[in-house]
Amino acid sequence: MTRLTNWSVIASTAVALLLASCASADGGGSASQNPSASNVFSAPGTVDLKGETITVLLPYDVPAELLKDFTDKTGIEVKLETTGWDAVQSKLIVANTAQTYVADVAEFDWSFTGQFAGQGWVEPLETALSADLQKDLTNTSGAFSSGGHIYAACYSNDFRMSLYNSGLFLKSGLTTFPSTFEQLGVDAEKLKNAGVQYPISLPMAATEGGVTPWYLLTIAMGGQLFDDKFKPIFADPGSAGAKALAFEIEAVKKGWVSPGSVTLDDGPAFDKFVAGSNAIALASSPGNLATAYDTSGSTISGVVKPGLVPGIDGPGNSFGLPEGLSIPVTAQHKDAALAFIEWWEQPATTLALFTNAGMLPCRSSVLADLVSNGQLQGGAVISDQFQKVVPLFPQGAPIWYSKFSSEAQGLINSAIKGEISANDALTQLADKTNTLISDSA
Amino acid sequence: MPPVAMQTTTVEEAKLGWKMVIPVILFATILILYPLTRGLLSSFQADRSLTGGRVKWVGLRNYSEVLQDPATRAAFLHSVQYTLTAVILEVALGLVIAVTLHRAFRGRGVILAILILPWALPSVVSGVLWRRIFDPDNGLLNDFLLRVHLINLPQVWLANEFWGRTFITVVHVWGVLPLICLIFLAGLQGIPEEVYNASAVDGAGPLRQFRFITFPLLKPAVSVALTVGTILSISIFDEIYVLNGTALNTRSIVMQVYTVTFKEADFAHGTALALIVAVITAAFATLYILSLRRAAA
Repeated sequence: MTRLTNWSVIASTAVALLLASCASADGGGSASQNPSASNVFSAPGTVDLKGETITVLLPYDVPAELLKDFTDKTGIEVKLETTGWDAVQSKLIVANTAQTYVADVAEFDWSFTGQFAGQGWVEPLETALSADLQKDLTNTSGAFSSGGHIYAACYSNDFRMSLYNSGLFLKSGLTTFPSTFEQLGVDAEKLKNAGVQYPISLPMAATEGGVTPWYLLTIAMGGQLFDDKFKPIFADPGSAGAKALAFEIEAVKKGWVSPGSVTLDDGPAFDKFVAGSNAIALASSPGNLATAYDTSGSTISGVVKPGLVPGIDGPGNSFGLPEGLSIPVTAQHKDAALAFIEWWEQPATTLALFTNAGMLPCRSSVLADLVSNGQLQGGAVISDQFQKVVPLFPQGAPIWYSKFSSEAQGLINSAIKGEISANDALTQLADKTNTLISDSA
Repeated sequence: MPPVAMQTTTVEEAKLGWKMVIPVILFATILILYPLTRGLLSSFQADRSLTGGRVKWVGLRNYSEVLQDPATRAAFLHSVQYTLTAVILEVALGLVIAVTLHRAFRGRGVILAILILPWALPSVVSGVLWRRIFDPDNGLLNDFLLRVHLINLPQVWLANEFWGRTFITVVHVWGVLPLICLIFLAGLQGIPEEVYNASAVDGAGPLRQFRFITFPLLKPAVSVALTVGTILSISIFDEIYVLNGTALNTRSIVMQVYTVTFKEADFAHGTALALIVAVITAAFATLYILSLRRAAA
């Protein structure tokens, strides 16, 4: 081969690659810029779904017997894939960006709404789910709504609340859970004096689970992270966000929270609580209560109780982190996926999932039944806390939330470790947020 | 002008050559060149997660922004620290261990097998094992240091600026050192014994032999060890992720690529950063290969 021929071949290959890349780069737009669910799902009863297999991607386990129940009723096999929450998020982002199949039913966290809906990665469900179901899910649907569409059906009515070990409390001479942060500090000292080395369990790792307590404390102190125009207000030294971070730093310095918490995610932090190492799980959830009551894995099942998140003058607000089931636009079995979601949302299924997996039901009617029948352990407190749940983003989760959260995870973690000052951390975070806002305008 | 028969054979050979090479070219094109080209193009586009999926060309803006990001600069610095420390330790210790194990002695095989074990373990597994040692509440290190009264309180080693990176380097070196030792061992076995015998006759002791025979003849192996050690330490990720997650104080440049690309879902900036790292790594590899060729010549 002559040198000219060699170079011709190389040049042709390069041009072909460039053209191919440009073509798919421009043509890779999402399928649902103007979403319409009506032509995606078949009319009920018109398609035989028996024999289909769907993949369900969630960060939590689902009891095998429940999945078998679904298969027995519908003939649809379920392949459940579980991995950590952060890993599920990464998988979904990568697959959706590449427009490749990842699952038929996928996790949809409240924080996904802005980004996933904005890029048209999931199918709207408002015309696919029954009107009765949607009415029963009204309290949580807002977190999954954007542009007039609902993108997920809530499966875990998660919100933040506190849990405490009443046995350790009694040992310290305490009979009630503190309702203010000032009282929390006083009680933490009493618990330390009674031999509880680190009274409060609070995850502080550079993860989503580790930054969530900062969000909670901000809300509990009566504030928000952003104003109604998404302008960050947490960098102001007098803001609730600044006070919340100051509390976390103080809690570590005073030994209320273990210094090792800066490497702990929410799961391991809660494990320490149920192992009896801490007296208070300050930023826990109703779902964790069921786990704490489970004698097979908890050493505090007889003494754990729910508590309202403390506030400034009395119990503070909390915020909701509902999680839903969604159908990616790349799903291969959308009708079967819809059938799975409909089965999941049935009252009997949600009750079984609560009992066996600690997922607090989202349907208002089911929740009300649990409380009235006394089946919801700690029901009165949970119900009271639910009344004080406010959204972290009343305006709806923004399209840049994942970037904001990633930045916040690192900076809040660094501030707690003392690598940078709290003021520097929050100023940097505010600057980054302003850049994100202008870039997405 | 060659005879016609010979010309025909040459053309036929060329055709056969192309037929054999085309599958490999296709493979490389599909799995390497195409993703590389797509990545390069996306590094010149705005982050689509902020543009709602629309394509917007921004030239070199992503490269400029990513290099100005404080977290990226810190990650670069951390990676330089990891690389310098790890490579120096690996080469120095690797040489000492290889020279020690080069001579035959009883139990040499067993010691070699034990030596290779850290390298055989997946880095995630070794990270989990070491995490048990560094655990602030129940870790073996704190337990030992408390017992010998070197510390008064349990320390959160991985949260500390200095100790966090130091211990991550230790874990990394622990895993890579066996490979470096094997590289040096292979190099040592290429040095003829007669050279040492002749030098001994001339009165050269072990130190002079090492300085004037072993080390000069090991230069090719040193180049290989430096190349491998540098590339592995630039790409350090698993140990950091398992031990300390994406915390800023220990974040390496590859960890920063992961954070930007997958946690922030910013494929544009992440790809730009990844390409910068790839160019730097390729530059190091080229330098070492050139020095290797010079040494061989």
